[in-house]
Amino acid sequence: MNGVATVSLAGVGGQGIILAAAIVAQAAMADGYDVKTSEVKGMAQRGGSVVSTVRYGKQVWSPVSPRADVVIATETLEGRRALSLLADKGTLVYATTMIAPGSVLRGEKDYPDDIVAAARARGIQLIAVDADSLAREAGTVRAANVALLGAATHALPFGARAWEHALELAVPAKVLEVNQRAFVLGREAAAAT
Amino acid sequence: MPERRRVAIISKVIVERIPFLSGNEAIARGAVRAGLGFACGYPGTPSTEVVEELARLKGPVVEWCANEKVALETGIGASLAGARTLVTMKHVGLNVAADPFMTLALTGVNAGLVVLSADDPGMHSSQNEQDNRHFAAFARVPMLEPSDSQEAYDFLAWAFELSEEFDTPVLLRSTTRLSHGRGRVVPRAPLPVEAPAYVKDVAKYVMVPEYARERNRLALARLEALRRRGEESPLNVLEAGTTDIGIISSGVAYAYAREAFPKAWSLKLGMSYPLPFHKVVKLYDSVSRVLVVEELDPFIEDQVRALGLPVVGKEVIPSNGELNQEIVFDAFEPVLKTRPPRRKRPVLPPPAVITPAPAPADDLPVRPPVLCPGCPHRAVYAMLRREKVAVMGDIGCYTLGALPPLLSLESCVCMGASIGMMAGMNRMMGRAAAVAVIGDSTFFHSGITPLIDARYNDTPGLVIILDNRTTAMTGHQGHPGTGLHADRSSGPAIDIGELCRGIGVAVTTVDAFDEAAVKKAIRSALARNEVSVLVALAPCILMDRSPREQVVVDDDRCNLCGLCVELGCPALVAGPESIEITSDCTGCGVCLAVCARGAVSLPVAAGGGDEAP
Repeated sequence: MNGVATVSLAGVGGQGIILAAAIVAQAAMADGYDVKTSEVKGMAQRGGSVVSTVRYGKQVWSPVSPRADVVIATETLEGRRALSLLADKGTLVYATTMIAPGSVLRGEKDYPDDIVAAARARGIQLIAVDADSLAREAGTVRAANVALLGAATHALPFGARAWEHALELAVPAKVLEVNQRAFVLGREAAAAT
Repeated sequence: MPERRRVAIISKVIVERIPFLSGNEAIARGAVRAGLGFACGYPGTPSTEVVEELARLKGPVVEWCANEKVALETGIGASLAGARTLVTMKHVGLNVAADPFMTLALTGVNAGLVVLSADDPGMHSSQNEQDNRHFAAFARVPMLEPSDSQEAYDFLAWAFELSEEFDTPVLLRSTTRLSHGRGRVVPRAPLPVEAPAYVKDVAKYVMVPEYARERNRLALARLEALRRRGEESPLNVLEAGTTDIGIISSGVAYAYAREAFPKAWSLKLGMSYPLPFHKVVKLYDSVSRVLVVEELDPFIEDQVRALGLPVVGKEVIPSNGELNQEIVFDAFEPVLKTRPPRRKRPVLPPPAVITPAPAPADDLPVRPPVLCPGCPHRAVYAMLRREKVAVMGDIGCYTLGALPPLLSLESCVCMGASIGMMAGMNRMMGRAAAVAVIGDSTFFHSGITPLIDARYNDTPGLVIILDNRTTAMTGHQGHPGTGLHADRSSGPAIDIGELCRGIGVAVTTVDAFDEAAVKKAIRSALARNEVSVLVALAPCILMDRSPREQVVVDDDRCNLCGLCVELGCPALVAGPESIEITSDCTGCGVCLAVCARGAVSLPVAAGGGDEAP
């Protein structure tokens, strides 16, 4: 809205959504955008659905938006859920990771398998990567969120230098290297698809 | 004896038999007449004599509590137990009780619950002069303001009925001149009251975000329904008079206004919140100007002004101190000599928009927060849910035990409320009706005073402190029990066991994962006739990520009964033909304890698994 773009980051509490949002925000700022973000903490962190929002543009007022241009989802069901946030012809970047919520664990509900069909029906671009495997390859599965961001570089306008800078600023120094590796693996995996 | 003289003597006797009561005594007797089952409070001028009078009367259970917050929480427990309940305090006491009060406004009640706030305009015996009518608007609950002893007596029946009909606490406001003034009170026949049974209702009494949002919607809709009720309720009395002035007033200010301007039109608001718009407009239609007479803040005046109607009020009536008829007369008399204001059409605010609950997107499975795999709270709930007790809960990660499938906790009102609510239930339903579950950090926040109270009032009950050695929900901050400071430096740690023993409360500490010990401790505590504490100790799993063996399922023994899945552990997946264990399993072993067929086991740790000969 008004030349402001919205990136929503969706996932399961504990997957590193807040760090991923911080990196996106830093990358946008490094490229000279005005940025506002918002996140939900507390009870939502205990394995519930979480959404963080990053908005960037020439001048951003609101920290939230009910509509996203790009969704980055660290888990497939949460990506499927966040389709409702995406504008038509928006882009969904999601990890193929599947974490069953309680109702699925107990066999009351089925885990949805229609993410591709539901996205295509609305002309939404899809970028899917196996972020967990890429992160493991980089050195730790905990870098899956950053591997996914590597894939998301194809959907966002920030330059390579901006992303590099953002990682250095947002990621703790002792795990920076492994995250940088995960980021590159994610970027390459998405380029190959 | 001439007939006339005899009649005069008889009527004098009858009149003399009509009790001459203070407002506080009238509130007490009016409550008993309305079927009061439980009353409590903390002394505070001018509220004190209500509980004192009730303690003299036969019938209700009456307690002084450790403070007003504990009193209200205990009162909530008694209301849940089915007893009509009155909780008393002075105005500043409601500041202390504001935490339960604001959320009680969302949960609503079971049996009627009335909170008396006795305000002290003029600060005869108080440190401030706050006008607690704002609390009614703040919490969106109805407020009743009797103007004399008779009304104080009569209003209690209205208050309990409103509370039950609209599922809301009712705020009853007195002031010094009502509480400590006296008048004759004609007694009325006692009301037949049936005690509603307590029914576990997680969505009503557990105010986790999802349920609280829905209760909040109901509270907003309830306010509009109460406003409509106020339009027709005999609590709000419109009295005709001369058309030059109409006076809106409430409480004892009505008495001053009536005496200063006996011939004026009057709108007396016995229920001063929410404001009955149409009755106000009707008054404006009948007179050429309207005065608002109220002590302290322009509470009614501001609401009338918001309707776009001209008011004379606080520009001539003092905003501080008490009023009397002379102040009222002297303030308005000069105004009456001026020209009346031009008539204006009122603008009645339409009902507020309420956002409906969002439907789950595309009927996808929702993902509420859950207790982590390996969470020690789950271990305690696995044992506790087998007992036939109401589990009064508190605020922390462990509140998640209320959600499906565990459903092991049935209340969450505010920090520390579990213990007072348990006490209120046990007072009215018997010693083992309810237990309290509270976290270590929450216990230090506000669990100590209600424990002191239960000990002081000799109320039986079991308080389970889920001690995971941290403030987990908010991100593992320190608290007085750990001694960990904000900068992560260490300070003195307070021992929960020593603290409780200092109060005279027996304490048992068990390993939260030792299911036999937990079960035994719960059973033996439930048999006690006094309050006791069980500390279920095990650090938060998120603070100890050392790798452990994961459980394995023997598919041949497993009959897919689902008992383990009922624990709500994210590491247990119910497949069509087997139970799968995900990589999130921490090997806590709680599922071993619930499996009746021994199908779940932990591999024996390498090196430590030598079997006994």
